[in-house]
Amino acid sequence: MEISRKTMEVATAVVTGGVGALICYGSTENGIGWGPGGPEPGYFPFGIGCLIVLGSLATLVQTFWKHAGAHPAGAGAVPEEPFIDGTRLRLLVAFVLPIVAMTAISAWLGLYIGMGLYIFYTMRVSAGFRTLTSLAAALLVIAVNFVVFEKLFMVPLLKGPILEYFGIY
Amino acid sequence: MGNFGQLMDGFVVALTVHHVMIMVIGVLLGLVVGVLPGLGAPNGVSLLLPLTFTMDPIAAIILLTSMYWGALFGGSTTSILFNIPGEPSSVATTFDGHPMAKRGEAVRALTLAFGSAGFGAMVGVVVITLLSGWVANFALQFGSPEYFAVYFMAFASFIGMAGGSPFKTLVCIMLGLAVGTVGMDTISGEGRLTFGITQLTNGISFLIVVIGLFGIGELLLTIDEGYKFDGVKAKLSLRVILRTLAELPRYWVTLLRSALIGCWMGITPGGPTAASFMSYALGRRFSRRGKYFGKGEPEGIVAPETADHSAGSCALLPMLALGVPGSATAAVMMGGLMIWGLSPGPMLFTTRPDFVWGLIASMYLGNVIAVVLVLATVPIFAWILRAPFTVVGPLIAIVCLIGAYTVSNHMFDIWVALAFGLVGYVFKKLDYPLAPFVLAVVLGDKAEDAFRQSMLSSGGSLSVFFEGSLVATMMGIGILLLSLPLLQIIFAALFRRGDSTDAGQTSRP
Repeated sequence: MEISRKTMEVATAVVTGGVGALICYGSTENGIGWGPGGPEPGYFPFGIGCLIVLGSLATLVQTFWKHAGAHPAGAGAVPEEPFIDGTRLRLLVAFVLPIVAMTAISAWLGLYIGMGLYIFYTMRVSAGFRTLTSLAAALLVIAVNFVVFEKLFMVPLLKGPILEYFGIY
Repeated sequence: MGNFGQLMDGFVVALTVHHVMIMVIGVLLGLVVGVLPGLGAPNGVSLLLPLTFTMDPIAAIILLTSMYWGALFGGSTTSILFNIPGEPSSVATTFDGHPMAKRGEAVRALTLAFGSAGFGAMVGVVVITLLSGWVANFALQFGSPEYFAVYFMAFASFIGMAGGSPFKTLVCIMLGLAVGTVGMDTISGEGRLTFGITQLTNGISFLIVVIGLFGIGELLLTIDEGYKFDGVKAKLSLRVILRTLAELPRYWVTLLRSALIGCWMGITPGGPTAASFMSYALGRRFSRRGKYFGKGEPEGIVAPETADHSAGSCALLPMLALGVPGSATAAVMMGGLMIWGLSPGPMLFTTRPDFVWGLIASMYLGNVIAVVLVLATVPIFAWILRAPFTVVGPLIAIVCLIGAYTVSNHMFDIWVALAFGLVGYVFKKLDYPLAPFVLAVVLGDKAEDAFRQSMLSSGGSLSVFFEGSLVATMMGIGILLLSLPLLQIIFAALFRRGDSTDAGQTSRP
């Protein structure tokens, strides 16, 4: 699967425009007019939302203009580099999904268990180390983080039910 | 120059064993952050910031600024040895640094880079020393309309001088401002743009935004570009280092020109990245050996490095004196000051002179320490970088996620950071500028407060921004900057010349 740059430009502009519209809508809940004491709380955000919509529309127009203009001159020209091609997209997804999984697991079982499982997975599957090495690396990462955050900087990380069961708070 | 005595007092504050130790630690951490692609200065400072909340503000700011110097220096190491910029601002260093290193002159290239970087940083710090007190005094006369005009000018200069699409810059600034308004409104106490999500009532911290945009986003970009580290080996020899340092004064024209460009771009929010590209482009145009640029020319290393570092240091001047940061990293540091209970701006110079001058003095020392440490640690970092990215990448990812969590101990923040990571990745690939985004998040509240307070005092009339001569001038400059892209189009149409293409576009190699 390949995503062209134009598709992505358009999609991004549409999304930012949507966000702008959402901001406009959200700010109407606070009143967007001029109260007795100057602008109401929603006045500033409303303007911001409008400018985002405006900027996004202009980017859209620019994108279409550029691509319409490029066509007649582009006989035999080098095709534009795609936003991302299939191989890279797969690499990217393979990198992002474990991170998302780690976050979900961490929310449930705590950050230490989340990061341990994540490091074990990446070392074993992505980097291709042996099971024992990966396990050692995961434990090392947990230990280092535990010492740095709990002991040195005294910033407690989320423990989750399992660690709490063993009396580690 | 009454600043000199105060600077000496500053040295008394900075030159304690405790603070020098902190500088060394900061510089080392910064080098790690600068060397690893996917971790940059703004992100590194954001990650460290929550850990400094319990520290004394002077020690904390020294730690953070030292980390900043380290990151700026570290970025050049990878540029030269591996042809991979560790920082966006050291992209221009790869053009000549890597070819020279490949010729077998890696040590010469590194020494040239660090030497000129040190010079640039020193010029920047001297400029701060000389000008900051004066700027702060000047800014003491500012009321809220003037402050709004300053913010307006900062944002307008991004739109006018960014070089890319002005509309994309506009969208970025406005999105940043919108992120800044989420949560409790400081004046009315109403929750804004929360859409009924309780976690949003406290707002979105700029730290989360930076960790997402710069940390996770950069990481995804690194994966996408499929970095392979095959570097040049560097064996340090003291003789070569000394000989190269002696060679440096020969490039005094380039050094001075680049330092000036850097100072200007740092004070106006152009930032180090723009400064290094501009300096490289100008160096190529004005140097007698300009046509050899790109093949390992010494001046091609000196020009971007000097400008990068003088811009990097000068970016702290407007942050301290006006409360308007000149770069993304300075914006993060300013956010830190506010969290420590210090309000950046002219009042800081009168209320906490020990803080301001201690910080400025630490900049002199920190840069000297950084030059020494960066040279000494080149072999170690060259070795670290030989580890495959499949190992380094996940470690960086963990650092980013934990960093997002430590900001306020909410799992929700990690999800927000991941979302911003995706935004950062897409925006970066489509040339949406990220620095104004961060600046807008940090300044959003202040800009809005300044605007609303001016409206309250004027009874809701916009004319307050054009009444005083000072405000009117600043607003005028801002509007001029805003219309710059439009003027360029008009001029280009009037004098049609095909060869006026930009020499320094930000294209990644």
